[in-house]
Amino acid sequence: MRVKLTEKDVLNPVGEVKKKKINLNPLPYDFDQVSLVDNTKPGASIILKVLSESLGNREFLCVKKPAGAPATDQQIMKASASDLAILALGDCGSCASWVVLDAIRLERRGTPTISIFSDHFAPFARQLAESHGMGDLRILEIEHPIAGLGNDEVEEKAFKIVSNLLYILQIP
Amino acid sequence: MAKKDEKIVNENSCGCTIDDLMDDKPNNRSKKPKINDDSLCATRDSDMEFFVDPDPEKVSLKFYQNRFTDGLPIIPPTRERVNRFLNYTHHDSGDVLAILPPKMGQATSEKVAINAVMAGCLPSFQPVVEHMIKAVSEDKFNLTGVNATTHPVSICTIINGPLIDEIGMNATVGCLGPGNLANATIGRALRFCLANIAGAIPGVGDHATHGSPAKYSYCFAENEKENPWDSLHVERGFNPQESTVTVIAAESPHNVNDHRSQSAEDLLDTIIHTATTAGCNNSHVPGELLVIMSPEHAETIQQDGWSKKDVQKYIHKNSSLLTVLADRGGRVLDEKNIIKGKVRITRSPKDVVLVVAGGPGRHTMISHGFGGGSESVTIPITL
Repeated sequence: MRVKLTEKDVLNPVGEVKKKKINLNPLPYDFDQVSLVDNTKPGASIILKVLSESLGNREFLCVKKPAGAPATDQQIMKASASDLAILALGDCGSCASWVVLDAIRLERRGTPTISIFSDHFAPFARQLAESHGMGDLRILEIEHPIAGLGNDEVEEKAFKIVSNLLYILQIP
Repeated sequence: MAKKDEKIVNENSCGCTIDDLMDDKPNNRSKKPKINDDSLCATRDSDMEFFVDPDPEKVSLKFYQNRFTDGLPIIPPTRERVNRFLNYTHHDSGDVLAILPPKMGQATSEKVAINAVMAGCLPSFQPVVEHMIKAVSEDKFNLTGVNATTHPVSICTIINGPLIDEIGMNATVGCLGPGNLANATIGRALRFCLANIAGAIPGVGDHATHGSPAKYSYCFAENEKENPWDSLHVERGFNPQESTVTVIAAESPHNVNDHRSQSAEDLLDTIIHTATTAGCNNSHVPGELLVIMSPEHAETIQQDGWSKKDVQKYIHKNSSLLTVLADRGGRVLDEKNIIKGKVRITRSPKDVVLVVAGGPGRHTMISHGFGGGSESVTIPITL
């Protein structure tokens, strides 16, 4: 008699993900007003200042939001009043998460966004955006780290991404 | 009769009957399978198949390599084991209890059970783990931030009510340490769910710079029997006879050693000095502070005539640090939090989440929270 011993199967612990797709709003051909969404992380305001100065004579609306938590509904509503919103800064886990998710909230309200992440956290930001159905969220990378640097060093890093911002916006 | 050393079976049958084995029918001869051993049945690889439990070492290593574990051995989640857990829930196995960020994984009853099996839980713990999952998924808990942050915040689970004794939780001596099956495995099960369902894998969806030992398991019960005040769930509006689960985003606990104080004020001042430090999240974004007070400390304070509210109010009012220190944390200080050149680490007395737990000894443990980025959640456990 031949006896066979078979190990029982084990079940997969990984949770399934239901795929969804949220459409990104196209960038405006031209725009008058830009919301600068500052999550108060060190360097965020400097980066936004440098980027906004590169956009010429336009109107800028500053909105401050918490870093590791969602923007309030009022903050989102305020930021969505402009033709375009630029969000900064995702340079850690929780702040990167909420830059992504707040950008998606703005996109859902019809406001096109550009979000700034340090290059270390940009891959996570893309994965998170994908998980939330917006894999093509516009992400602009800046060299990590930002926190712990002097203002001059942050400015220098911000200047390096100005050309990428202008390219995304198709501004010659 | 079959020839010697050549068993003949009917290939249309299972091959296991005596008639098939013994009957040498002519129409079978052209298809006679031949085997050269002592098998009873020629149409199967074996005459008898036994299903055995997988080797825990092998499964642990395989799951570890797939990044499904915390690095410690696990119990292999076989269908039988998982089904035993599912017998303890009123949910169907496919019911989605919550969608967990950052990966937005679906936490079904079955997935929760699989992870609870792996963690070494007993089947009766399944409803507790399910309720923890529901609690952490509430918006105000901000699981997105808690999971993904570089901050070493863990999720502390506090159990209240009759369930403490029913499942044998430790609320007394060593309740935050090793040695109790429920405390150890329920907290571990939550961590597995966060990694495998939510995607909070270190370096992937969990970006904690150092991580934390509290991310292995951080679960205990309140010592209601030696608590001179209302326990946490009663303070939050539940009946003492209800069982609840509370989840709070908290750092690893830090000790407050005070063997000398004989008055409430003196003792609380020691706690306050330990809690009020530059560099904790609360210092620049005030939020919850978990205070796990030993029964002896609680008794000293209570005998001095202080209520729980008095304690919370005193800690809130006096736990503040100079703005120049608070400002080192990182985020720009919110002007409204600066009062006379100081920043409080809590927003209100309610942010002082005070529980009594532990055994004999004059120690209290404190855990700073995730600043204002997360609010603790208490929900009743319904079976």
